[in-house]
Amino acid sequence: MAEYDLTTKIAHFLDRHLVFPLLEFLSVKEIYNEHELLHGKLDLLSDTNMVDFAMDVYRNLFPDKEIPTLREKRTEVVAQLKQLQSETEPIVKCVLFYIYFCFNFCFSMQFRQEYLDTLYRYAKFQYECGNYSGAAEYLYFFRVLVPATDRNALNSLWGKLASEILMQNWEAAMEDLTRLRETIDNNTVSSPLQSLQQRTWLIHWSLFVFFNHPKGRDNIIELFLYQPQYLNAIQTMCPHILRYLTTAIITNKDVRKRRQVLKDLVKVIQQESYTYKDPITEFVECLYVNFDFDSAQKKLRECEAVLVNDFFLVACLEDFIENARLFIFETFCRIHQCISISMLADKLNMTPEEAERWIVNLIRNARLDAKIDSKLGHVVMGNNAVSPYQQVIEKTKSLSFRSQMLAMNIEKKQSHANRNEVKALCSFAKILMIRPINLSCFLFVLSEKKIRIARCKL
Amino acid sequence: HILIFYTVSDKQNRIKLINHNYLDLLLSDDEEDTKRVVRSAKDKRFEELTNLIKTIRNAMKIRDMAKCLEEFEQLCRAFLKSKTIMDKEGVPQFYIRLLADLEDYLNQLWEDKEGKKKMNKNNAKALSTLRQKIRKYNKDFETEIASYKEVQSCSPDAFTSSSGSDDDDDEGITAKSLLKKKPQEEEKKAPEASKFLKGAADEESESEDDEESEDWGSDSVDSGSESEDNEGAAASLAVVFLKKYDSRRKKHKKKERLEEEADEEAEAEEGGWEKVKGGAPMVKEKPKMFAKGTEINSAVVVKKLTEILQARGKKGTDRAAQIELLHALAGISNENNLGEGILIKIKFNIIASLYDYNPNLAAFMKPDMWKKCLECIDELMDILFANSNIFIGENIAEDSENLAISDQPFRVRGCILTLVERMDEEFTKIMQNTDPHSQEYVDNLKDEGRVCGIIDRLLQYLETKGSTEEVCRVYLRRIMHTYYKFDYKAHRRSLGLQGETKSEQDQEESEGEDSAVIMDRLCKFIYAKDRTDRIRTCAILCHIYHHALHSRWFQARDLMLMSHLQDNIQHADPPVQILYNRTMVQLGICAFRQGMIKDAHNALLDIQSSGRAKELLGQGLLMRNMQERNAEQEKIEKRRQVPFHMHINLELLECVYLVSAMLLEIPYMAAHEFDARRRMISKQFHHQLRVGERQPLLGPPESMREHVVAASKAMKMGDWRTCHSFIINEKMNSKVWDLFPETQCVREMLVRKIQEESLRTYLFTYSSVYDSISMETLSEMFELDLPTVHSIISKMIINEELMASLDQPTQTVVMHRTEPTSLQNMALQLAEKLGGLVENNERVFDLKQGVYGGYFNRDQRGGYQQKQGYHRGGYEHLSVTSKLLFTLFCGGSSQNALSLSSSKQLPSVDMKSVFLVWLVKLNVCVFLCLWLL
Repeated sequence: MAEYDLTTKIAHFLDRHLVFPLLEFLSVKEIYNEHELLHGKLDLLSDTNMVDFAMDVYRNLFPDKEIPTLREKRTEVVAQLKQLQSETEPIVKCVLFYIYFCFNFCFSMQFRQEYLDTLYRYAKFQYECGNYSGAAEYLYFFRVLVPATDRNALNSLWGKLASEILMQNWEAAMEDLTRLRETIDNNTVSSPLQSLQQRTWLIHWSLFVFFNHPKGRDNIIELFLYQPQYLNAIQTMCPHILRYLTTAIITNKDVRKRRQVLKDLVKVIQQESYTYKDPITEFVECLYVNFDFDSAQKKLRECEAVLVNDFFLVACLEDFIENARLFIFETFCRIHQCISISMLADKLNMTPEEAERWIVNLIRNARLDAKIDSKLGHVVMGNNAVSPYQQVIEKTKSLSFRSQMLAMNIEKKQSHANRNEVKALCSFAKILMIRPINLSCFLFVLSEKKIRIARCKL
Repeated sequence: HILIFYTVSDKQNRIKLINHNYLDLLLSDDEEDTKRVVRSAKDKRFEELTNLIKTIRNAMKIRDMAKCLEEFEQLCRAFLKSKTIMDKEGVPQFYIRLLADLEDYLNQLWEDKEGKKKMNKNNAKALSTLRQKIRKYNKDFETEIASYKEVQSCSPDAFTSSSGSDDDDDEGITAKSLLKKKPQEEEKKAPEASKFLKGAADEESESEDDEESEDWGSDSVDSGSESEDNEGAAASLAVVFLKKYDSRRKKHKKKERLEEEADEEAEAEEGGWEKVKGGAPMVKEKPKMFAKGTEINSAVVVKKLTEILQARGKKGTDRAAQIELLHALAGISNENNLGEGILIKIKFNIIASLYDYNPNLAAFMKPDMWKKCLECIDELMDILFANSNIFIGENIAEDSENLAISDQPFRVRGCILTLVERMDEEFTKIMQNTDPHSQEYVDNLKDEGRVCGIIDRLLQYLETKGSTEEVCRVYLRRIMHTYYKFDYKAHRRSLGLQGETKSEQDQEESEGEDSAVIMDRLCKFIYAKDRTDRIRTCAILCHIYHHALHSRWFQARDLMLMSHLQDNIQHADPPVQILYNRTMVQLGICAFRQGMIKDAHNALLDIQSSGRAKELLGQGLLMRNMQERNAEQEKIEKRRQVPFHMHINLELLECVYLVSAMLLEIPYMAAHEFDARRRMISKQFHHQLRVGERQPLLGPPESMREHVVAASKAMKMGDWRTCHSFIINEKMNSKVWDLFPETQCVREMLVRKIQEESLRTYLFTYSSVYDSISMETLSEMFELDLPTVHSIISKMIINEELMASLDQPTQTVVMHRTEPTSLQNMALQLAEKLGGLVENNERVFDLKQGVYGGYFNRDQRGGYQQKQGYHRGGYEHLSVTSKLLFTLFCGGSSQNALSLSSSKQLPSVDMKSVFLVWLVKLNVCVFLCLWLL
């Protein structure tokens, strides 16, 4: 199954700490050689300060060897940590103190730049050591304190998001994600290339959130498919994200929007079919472009295998299979007027009895206008063509109402205009300091018509 | 210097300028004269006359009778003015001569019936008037003319060519007739003068090979005085007159020259070398360039160089001679081992003066000149490559140059990139101005390889030495020479075919990387490094073009979309726009080859719908525009033309467009047969169809267009076999399809598309006839496999184009037969129109009153507006509706009176009343609609 594995591609766009969960997952699935995986892990760890973890991995990899340089590094790291901690402590205390007692601490106490930098460095160090909760906490302080123009502001947001993800704190992660997205989108300073890179990262990091947060699957469609900048980023930088987008759309519960979304998705998939293809996108292509139900069925089976081995998508395997079946069936029904149950069962990967039960359920739940001919073993669709009479009625239904509305609006507008005129006259009278009635006489000479209106109002 | 070169350039100009420029030239010569000479009244008059005579002679030569007549009238007037002088001096011989010649000439023309017929009306008229006039006029001079004719018959040698066709001949005669008298005259002059004259004559005869040198060769003195003769000499010279007239003028001039020469000599003595005689062959020149004793070092050479260069651009400088001089100088510096610095400096200047040789910017260099230039650049590159310690640059100031001191790196002012760019441009110009169907074109095109070679070398050189900006520029040059060439080598390699023989294979390997790789590398560098927008735009376009040419459709498309060029290309300059058009066309053709018919159509639509594809692609000017532009514009446009070897075949383009339009339009037409709101996909295609229909007799198709039209007709009937045979046959193959590199694939694709679209058309057209139809039959009919048929039909059903559904157990298509009847169709249309009407009214109200009118949300309306367009007013809609009502109910409804009467009340301007009328009508309509059904 290694050919459909995207870990290597995705890892390019992730922080090294975020790759560990992926590697853990892979080692469980045993697609790759365990030994190589451990090697990879060790390489990843070499640039972090998670020395203990590294030692564990090393021991796993070479059980009989002594760990060479790691011990020294450990002491070094610990010392550094201590030092940073001592530097940061007073600052944090100050911050806490002021947060509790006085909200505008920024002004009362000249919070100097180097304090902020220290805070940031400490948070970063914490993160590198694998202490994500600590990092998240300090980064929170940092974000509250610094203006958006600070050079570390964006980095702190990224760090916060990563920490929240790694702590599996999805609510908070979602919030951070939105904030980060706003920052990136509103950033006018960076070059298009930089924004593109930032967006690509965001897309990848957000996968963690979207596939774990309960509302994630709606948001992923909104973000990836309907935000042109992000869609562009996907098309240019990482077409493999289409797999996740497709899965999200197929498993999406919202039936009403689905058709339109699918249409848009098919367009994108077709456009990108030359750069990226996997069973999941091919499934959609088979179903909605070629209407080739047999191969759709084949692809569905392949999809299963792909989903099981994908870190993000394992959770939605059930949903996916169920929905995909429904899709096949729905499309099938729209095209056909008479289907034999045995064939359907074959297509849906079920036994005939199961299939029949499934269809009966569908009919009962009123999602399908059909009847079963049990003698021949056929499902007969109801005819849902709209007669021209009905069409004409539909089309002309609202016309008179709309016309009336228009007429009323015109009247309203005219009376409104009249009232305005009267108001103007009255104020004019005030200016002239005469009584309105006298004014009307006065104006009589000028314009008969206008005065008439004014008088009747007065 | 100026004076020395003066006569020569003067002469050259004269060869070129036959017509009116002549007068200007002469006048300008006069200007110089007038400064010095106060002429007698007689001189003035005579000059005026001679000028006029000259013009007349010119007009005679080009048979411009109108001009002749005009000038003749002027001449008569001028003659009258100078009557007093004439009385004193007698009628001048040249005047008589003209009169005689003119009469002869006119008679001759008059006799020539054929020629007269060819004349345009104006000229013919002028001819007859002039003939009458001159007859009358000549009566006054009968005696003189007679005597002149006598003289002529006596000495035929001297005058035979007097009425000849060439201007130069005139002077030749002048010279000849002068021969006898001049030497005696000259002997009276100071010895210096004669010496000088000799020199001048010498040089003149050398530098002008095209002149009849045998004339001058015999005695040089004569040609020396030639320039002075300009003004008066053209007249046929009676000996007496000449003596008096010309010698006087000469005296003035001679004095002038003497003075100048004295100056010059003094100057030369100071400088320590002899004076320069430009243009003499090198052997003679060398000793003259520097005095014998002079030690030739770099300072001296540089000084000399600047001196030569100072003459540059000045009026009357002989450019050819200057080039020779520079060459000589280069030779000298080479002989004396003055070092590369100086050599490079001189080379730069040689190339520059080669470019200068042609003063007119619009004209193109002569190929041989250009080749010389090519060689020079090649040598220059050799030197640059051999010596890595030379810095050249535009911004090195003249005085900070280091030419001589060899232990420091040389610094030379000059930009080789500009020179190469200019060379390349000249190459394009040469190609533009050569007849593309001649052998000459092929010969010139062979030099393209050398140009590429030079650019490649320059590229190597600049990659190590140049700034990024320069590298970008030279990369662009390289790209421009690569992008339009199909890489057959790579193509063959991708097909897996190796060269047949071993040697060919070796050659292939040695030739290096694919053009695709090169393009990629160069373009990406430019994308990253370029600061000017233009170079990047060009690079992107070329890159896309190259992708498209090699059928890498997706890359090409993505690049086009990502670059967002479509948005702002209209602000670019015309050459870039032409490149853009070419790219779009190539993109369209590429899409077609890949079977993306819709994309192909979209890409080609803009170019083809204008009907000016030729002009838009820079492949020729359209004739009908001739009135709209003047000569100047035309010249500019001509300069923008793409050379022939880069052309995109226009017939291929049109065919691709028409075929893709056919594949889109025919099924669409079949599907929307009754739809009133049907829109044409391609106007041009419809136009072709109409042209086809208009023909009274339909023979077998001949041209490409006829083939497509015939195929469309067949396809309309769902007859794919006939359609196929019209699109793909011998004729079309040779005309169009064989032009593609992968002919076979394209043809297969095309057949398949024809089958599919015919199937669709068939279903649309005949679905009303069938109750059900088996898919197997369909697949047999159209020779498509079952899954494809299934997929096509499914798609039609899903998109609700075909009202049918599949019956799975029997594998048939069952028609629903719910297509509305024509009456129902009209009712539906009416309903739709009503909806549009309401909406329009709301919009009108909105526009007038602000946002009060609408109660439904704006998105809905937005969608509608997109379909409808803004410009249809509500009133128009009303009338449309009433017409529709009328037609609908003519069949037999008593109510139509009502609707008609209401529509008669319509033209009231007050909005409210219109609205009320409309409201009533609307209700009636809705009611009628429903009642009718």
